[in-house]
Amino acid sequence: MLRYIARRLAQAAIIVAIVATITFALIHLAPGDPFSAVLDNPNVSESVRETLRAQYGLDRPLPEQFVRYVGALSRGELGWSFSHDRPVSEVLGQALPNTLLLMGVALVGSFALGILIALIQVARRGTTTDHALNGITLLFIAMPDFWLALLALLSLAYWLPIFPVGGAVDPVTHDYLSAGGRIVDRLYHLALPAMTLILLASASVARYQRAALLDVLPSDYIRTARLKGLTERQILRRHALRNALLPTITLIGLSFPALLTGAFFIERIFAWPGMGYAVVYAIGTRDYPLVVGGVMIGSIMVTLGSLAADLLYAWADPRVRNI
Amino acid sequence: MPGPTPVSATSSAARPRESPLALSVRALLRKRSSRIALVVLAVIVLVGILAPLIAPYDPAAQPDIVALKSQSPSLAHPFGTDPYSRDVLSRVLYGARLSLVIGILATFVSLTFGVAYGAIAGYVGGMLDAVMMRILDAFLSIPRLLLLLGVLVAWPHLSIAPLILFLGLTGWFGLSRIVRGQVLALKHAEFVTAARALGASRRRILARHLLPNLVSPIAVAATIGVGHVIVLEAGLSFLGIGVPQPLASWGNIIQDGADQVATLWWMSLFPGLFMVLTVMTLNILAEALREFYERRS
Repeated sequence: MLRYIARRLAQAAIIVAIVATITFALIHLAPGDPFSAVLDNPNVSESVRETLRAQYGLDRPLPEQFVRYVGALSRGELGWSFSHDRPVSEVLGQALPNTLLLMGVALVGSFALGILIALIQVARRGTTTDHALNGITLLFIAMPDFWLALLALLSLAYWLPIFPVGGAVDPVTHDYLSAGGRIVDRLYHLALPAMTLILLASASVARYQRAALLDVLPSDYIRTARLKGLTERQILRRHALRNALLPTITLIGLSFPALLTGAFFIERIFAWPGMGYAVVYAIGTRDYPLVVGGVMIGSIMVTLGSLAADLLYAWADPRVRNI
Repeated sequence: MPGPTPVSATSSAARPRESPLALSVRALLRKRSSRIALVVLAVIVLVGILAPLIAPYDPAAQPDIVALKSQSPSLAHPFGTDPYSRDVLSRVLYGARLSLVIGILATFVSLTFGVAYGAIAGYVGGMLDAVMMRILDAFLSIPRLLLLLGVLVAWPHLSIAPLILFLGLTGWFGLSRIVRGQVLALKHAEFVTAARALGASRRRILARHLLPNLVSPIAVAATIGVGHVIVLEAGLSFLGIGVPQPLASWGNIIQDGADQVATLWWMSLFPGLFMVLTVMTLNILAEALREFYERRS
């Protein structure tokens, strides 16, 4: 197991290193730099631009810039955010907990809901319920994240004002609430964005889990269980689900890119002060270092997510460890 | 392992030889759900092609930016008008055209790259394969939207052609891995060894003997891919870095009304419905194709 973990960790490190190279290439393949007249105020004189380039090290040869970039990354520095006038790592570091909260709740919620839907479908396979749920999951898979978020905002925050229209806390009353009241206030603001992300992500979990369940049902041990006289419900929950959950662990790792992308749009629409909100705002202000920093952190999250899923799988299924 | 058999062996003596495309279409027509999906998709494609004929107004015209702006749906404007007094129905119809064209062209770019990269890695193997796969791993761990954000922020104000190119260039990683796996599995199949023994060149083996066996994963990936690109383009346009104004794409229209979603609900609802319908039919067709291919092999 230890050897497996070590190998998997080394793999993840290599991936992150290549991603860093890709982001560096992204920056330097682009036309101009943050101080060229195309992107910046054209009224600034060329000598001022030169000074700024020298200050930010943009006048050095590319290999030197690359070494500096990698060195800075390894110290956790992601560059300077022009629009916030603060280090990128500080801006993103402040936003990250909110994104992790949203994604974490959505991850747990979507797998719980998805597995539940799959169980209902398989218990009633072939019936109208099965077909209807099939149609619904197909619909939600086809739904663009930002569109569902807009509809949720429109229907449940504006037309039926059940939930707040945005933000992570109430901007006026939050500071005056008791400790318990603050938690309630936070949950109240989290509810609608999280529900949207859960709905979006659970559809593919449900389809995946349904297929996995149908895969194991013809197995010999299921027939044995049936011959022992167990009820269909007991067979599904004790025998089929336990085995069909294994492939779902892999899906946890695979679902990180979609969750992150969904969180980006949802944060923008619900003004949820996370990483996506910061990066989308940075697009508007052409704050390039902040966007690239977001790409970097996002990729690290995805890499760590699939690493965690693989280790979880190895823990759950001993056959994998020895490969 | 789903043992892929060479195409020439399955469509042998018994039946007259049919092209993979004709076979796939026939398979799709056999299932009711995919028949419906095909009809719906055909209608959307027709709408896109005929947009100039059936759109009631010019999609970019701003007839009266004061009197006709932000009107809710009515008989004259079934989908309402936007804050610039443009007719939303006309924009949605033209949007169908643009979204489909972008989806198809970008997917074509993805297929070309994905197949070439995967086939080379799988066929050459060894050190080159290992390096190419690690690079692929890295690209796969950058969410596609984020990768595009990074590119599009560096190249601001892109026109349609480079946008399509970038959408295509960020969409081939998954397919590439599938193609590589298939090539790796088939590399030592008997019919490939036979071709090699007969003196066929590497290029000929790849193009004439291996690629025809990759039709099924490519067809499935292409069908899903078009839908992915449509949603991605819409997302980028929604964030203001996709299709440039005054062109109408479904994402653009939604973006125009997003800041006032509470009052201009028609601007997000209608283009979104078209988008969901398109992507859903594409997904249904992809799944039917996959089922068909799996049963055949």
